[in-house]
Amino acid sequence: MKTINVKINGENYTREINEDMRLLDFIRDELKLYGTKEGCGEGECGACTVIMDGVTVNSCMVMAFQANNKEILTIEGMEDEKGLHPIQQAFLDEGAVQCGFCIPGMVLSAKALLDKNPKPSRKEIKEGISGNLCRCTGYNKIVDSIEKASQYLEGEDQ
Amino acid sequence: MDIKNVFQAKDVPEAINLLDQYGEAAKVIAGGTDIIIALRENHVKVSVLVDISSIKELKEIKTSDDWVEMGAAVTFTEVMDYFKGHKEYSGLIEAASLVGSPQIRNAATIGGNICNASPAADFVPPLLALDAVLTVEGKEGKREVRLEDFLLDKGRVDLNKGELLTTIKFIRLRKGQTVTFSKLGLRKALAISRLSTAVYLEIDDDEKCAEVRVASGSIGKHGLRERVAEESLKGKNLDKAAIDEASKVLSNEVEKRLAGRSSCEFKKDAVEGIFLKAVEKAMVHNGDGSYCAMGTQYYPRAAGKE
Repeated sequence: MKTINVKINGENYTREINEDMRLLDFIRDELKLYGTKEGCGEGECGACTVIMDGVTVNSCMVMAFQANNKEILTIEGMEDEKGLHPIQQAFLDEGAVQCGFCIPGMVLSAKALLDKNPKPSRKEIKEGISGNLCRCTGYNKIVDSIEKASQYLEGEDQ
Repeated sequence: MDIKNVFQAKDVPEAINLLDQYGEAAKVIAGGTDIIIALRENHVKVSVLVDISSIKELKEIKTSDDWVEMGAAVTFTEVMDYFKGHKEYSGLIEAASLVGSPQIRNAATIGGNICNASPAADFVPPLLALDAVLTVEGKEGKREVRLEDFLLDKGRVDLNKGELLTTIKFIRLRKGQTVTFSKLGLRKALAISRLSTAVYLEIDDDEKCAEVRVASGSIGKHGLRERVAEESLKGKNLDKAAIDEASKVLSNEVEKRLAGRSSCEFKKDAVEGIFLKAVEKAMVHNGDGSYCAMGTQYYPRAAGKE
C-alpha cells in the first residue's frame, strides 16, 4: 500500500492505495465519484477525462500514485452553490446530451479549451474535443453547446 | 499488472538510484499513455515503477545562444506552446500536434516517444532531421549520444541498465534554416502514423540548398535518416526538377526497403507526396519568383535581397 495526498474538486484526500491502481479506479472505486466513466480503457474515447493541474488527461492512463500532490477536477466539481456550471447549462439548453456516457468527458474537455481559449472557432472546438468520442454521434449539438457556453461565460465576466 | 513498488522521483539522482537498485524489475513511467496499456495487457512485466513526470528539471525547455534543450518529461502540449509562432520550428509543432488527442498530448512526453522506439513515433523524424543529441544519465555519470545512434531496433534503444534519458538538444535554427513535418494517418485525431517525413532545410543567399536532412517514420524498424534523398538535393537549386528527382530517389529507396511487404505498393508512391509536402512547407515564396526558408521572415533579409 502507498499513501497519497490528492486535492479533488477542492477537497483534500489522504488515502492508502494499491500500487497498481489507476487514477480512474481511485476516483470511482475509492472516492465513489461515478461521473468519471470508463469507456475503452486505452485512451481512445476520453470518457474518463479529468482535469489534472489545469490540463485534461485520460484518467485510465494515469496511475493513482502519480496523482500524489496534484489537483484534480472531475465532473462532480463543475457545479457550485449557484447551480450548474455555464458549460453544463449550455449542453442542456442545446439538447446536446443523448445517452450521456461521453458527456462528463466532453464537458471537462470543453472547460479546458475555454479556459485557454475563451472564444474558440468551430474548428478549434472540434480539435478541443477530438479526444472524446460520442457513439450517439451527436457532435454538432455538442459543438453548438460549447459555442453557447463561450457566450454564457463571456456574459458572466461582464 | 503485478506492480509491487511505485516511486514518484523528486530529482534525477533519485530516479537513477531507484533504476539502479531495482534493475530489470523496474521501468520508468512518465506520461503513462503507452506503458499503462502495456502493463494491463501484460506486454510489459515489471514490479516497480519509477515516475519521472514530477521532476522539475526534466520539464524545462531552454534556448541558449547555440542550442535548444528540452527535458525528457516535456509533454507535446508544452512543445506546442513553447514553439508557437516560431515558423522555423513548424516541424516540431506539427509533429507534436498530430500525436494522439489533447488528453494524450497533455500527458505523453517526448522522452517516452523516443524510448518506446515505435517505428511510427511522430516526434522522432523531426528530431532526426534536426540531428538531435540526447543526454543519458546513469550511476557512472552522463553521456551524450546522437538520436540516430540511440535508436537500435523496433522497440529497442541504447539505454543500459539503470540509465535514464534526461535531455534532448539540437542546434538552434538560424536565418535560412527550417524544419518541417508531414504525416499520413487514417484519420485526423488519434491516428497512428502510416507514413511520415521530416525535412531540415538550409537555403543559402543564392537560393541553393546549402544543407538538407531528411528523416522518415513508419517505413523502417524505427525513424530513419533518408540519406539518398539528402544527397540528391544537396547543393542544388531548389527548383521543381531537383525536388521531383529527390522524391523519385526516395521512392526507389523505400521500394527496395519494403520489398515483399503488402504496404510496399502504396508506401513507395505515398512517400513521394509526403516528402514533397514537407519540402514545400520548408520553402516560402517571396512573390518575386525567389524564395527563402520558412521562418526566415523573422530575421533581417540578406544584403542585396531587398
